[in-house]
Amino acid sequence: MSSSIDERKICEVVYRGCLALDAEDFDGFMGFCSSQFKYRITVYSPDLRKEMIWLSHDYVGIKAMLESVPQHFKRLGTLKRHVSVYLIEQDAGAPVAKVTSSFLVTSTDPEGRSRLFCAGTYFDEVSIDGGVPMLTSRQAHLETRDLGIGTHIPL
Amino acid sequence: MTSRNESAWRQQPSFPETYVVSGLVYHDDNVFALERETIFNKAWILACHESELPEKFDFRTLEIADTPLIVVRGADASLRAFINVCSHRGARLVNERSGNAKAFACFYHRWTYDTKGSCINIPRPEGYQACGVHTGDYGLREVRTEVKLGLVFLNLDDNAFPLDDFLGGALDPLKEILGGVPLEVFHYQRSEIDANWKAWMETNLDTYHTGMHYLLRKTQVDKQRRIRIVAGGHGNTGGMKSAYTNYADWKNREDSMALPGADAREMRNVHLFPNASVITRGTVVRIDTVSPIGPHRTVVECRGLGIKGDTEDERRQRVEHHNQYWGPLGRNLPEDGLAAELCARSYRSGSAHYQVIARDEGLTGQDDGMLRAYYAQWSKMTGLSLSDPRAVTRER
Repeated sequence: MSSSIDERKICEVVYRGCLALDAEDFDGFMGFCSSQFKYRITVYSPDLRKEMIWLSHDYVGIKAMLESVPQHFKRLGTLKRHVSVYLIEQDAGAPVAKVTSSFLVTSTDPEGRSRLFCAGTYFDEVSIDGGVPMLTSRQAHLETRDLGIGTHIPL
Repeated sequence: MTSRNESAWRQQPSFPETYVVSGLVYHDDNVFALERETIFNKAWILACHESELPEKFDFRTLEIADTPLIVVRGADASLRAFINVCSHRGARLVNERSGNAKAFACFYHRWTYDTKGSCINIPRPEGYQACGVHTGDYGLREVRTEVKLGLVFLNLDDNAFPLDDFLGGALDPLKEILGGVPLEVFHYQRSEIDANWKAWMETNLDTYHTGMHYLLRKTQVDKQRRIRIVAGGHGNTGGMKSAYTNYADWKNREDSMALPGADAREMRNVHLFPNASVITRGTVVRIDTVSPIGPHRTVVECRGLGIKGDTEDERRQRVEHHNQYWGPLGRNLPEDGLAAELCARSYRSGSAHYQVIARDEGLTGQDDGMLRAYYAQWSKMTGLSLSDPRAVTRER
C-alpha cells in the first residue's frame, strides 16, 4: 500500500467534502459520506464548564436535514471553509484513518463583505478498507461560541 | 395608488398610542440612554439559572446592558450579585466566565474581596492612612438578587419593588415545569447580533410569523394558540401542540420525557418584560435573554434546560429536542435572528420610520396584543411616547 497515495485520497475526501458544502451541493457532500456516517458539532462552554453538543445526526438525519435547507430562510450570503489537514493516523489493520484538520469558516454577505464566522477542528474518520475512501464520522469541534444568528448549514 | 410618495411614506398612521412604534425607538442614541437609565437600571432582569452555580463559591460573570456583574453562591449557599469592578482603579475584577473561588483578587493591585462583596485586603494599608482608606469602606457594589422557580433575577435599583410584585403572576403557567423537579442548564450560547434588543424580544412576542419558519409551518399543526397579557408588560402563550414527525426524519417526543405538568407535544411560553422569554416544548426548556450593548448591537443569550438527574439517554434526547429548534444550527433560531437584523438595518438607515402592531383579534395567536402590552410598559418606564419618542409623555 502506498501511503502517500492513500493520504492524498484521504485529504481529497476532506477537501472535496468542504468544497461541496461551500457550494451548498448537499447531495455532493453526502456522496463523500458512508451510510454509517455520524456528524456532530461540539463546543466547550466555559460558562457552564461543560462540553456541549450543538448538532448530532446519523447519515439519515443529516441527509434529511440538508434536503430541507432550501426550504428555509437562511442567513444571507455564503459560507466558505478553509481547511488544513494536520494529521492522518492509520493504525495497522484499522478500517478507518483518523484525520485531524483545522478549519476556518468565513461568511460573505450579499454586499461582498467577508468576515470570520467560526474556527475549529475537524476530527474525521475516513474509511480505508478498500474501495473509495468515505467519511464515516465527523466531529466539528468549535473554538468559536458566538455564531451570531446561526446557520442552517453544517460547518 | 399602490405606492407612496415621501410625504405619505413618512406620515405615521393615526392609530391609538400603542399600535404604532416609531423607528426612533430602535436606533436613537438618546432613547437608548434613557432605556439604560429607566429600564435596565430599574427593572428586575433575568440573569441566569441557579443550576449554573450549584456549589458553594461557584461564580458566574455576565452583563446587564454592558454593566459587568458577578453572581456568586456564598458559604451560606445564598446567591449574591455585585458589579464586577474593583473599587480601587475600576478594573474588571473577575475575567473568567465562571468558576469556583472563595475570594476575588484584582489582578491589577491585588485588592481582594470575599463572596459577600466585602473588601478583605488592600495591600500596603499604611500608605492610605493619611486619607483614611480602609477595607470596610471599599466593598463591592451589591446588586439585589432574588430567585424564583430557579430563575435568578438581578436589579440594579436598591429601591425596587420585590421581584414578586414585579412579576405578578407572569410565571404561573410554568410553575410546574420550572419548579416540579430540579432543572439544569445543558446548553448556553451567547451571541452578539446587529439589532436593537427589543427587535429580538419581538420575535418571541410576535406569535404569527410562522410563515417565515419552514419548520413551524410543517410542525405546528394545532393552531389554537392563545395569548394572555399580564400586568407589567409580561405575557404568555399556550394551547398549541406540534407534530414533530412532519419535519425531516424527526421522531415524536415520548410522553415519558415530558416535563412536570406538560404534554410532550405542547408549547408554552412566558415572556418577561424587559428582556426574557422562557419557552417550553414539552420535554425541554429554553431561556432567552437579551442585553443591549448599544442601540444597534445586542447580546442574545440562549439556554437549554433538562431535568437534573436525567439518564444519559434522556439527556441525549433533550439535547436533540433542544437543538432541533433552538441551537445555533437549529431550524428555528436563525430565521428569528435574520428578521431582527433585517428590521434593524432598515431603522438604522432611516429607510423605515415606524412599524405597525395593530392586529386586534381577541388575543388569539394572530393578535399583536402581547407586543402592545410590552410596549405600553416600555412607554411607562421610559416616559416616552411610543409613536413619537421625542415627546416626553410624563415627568419622570
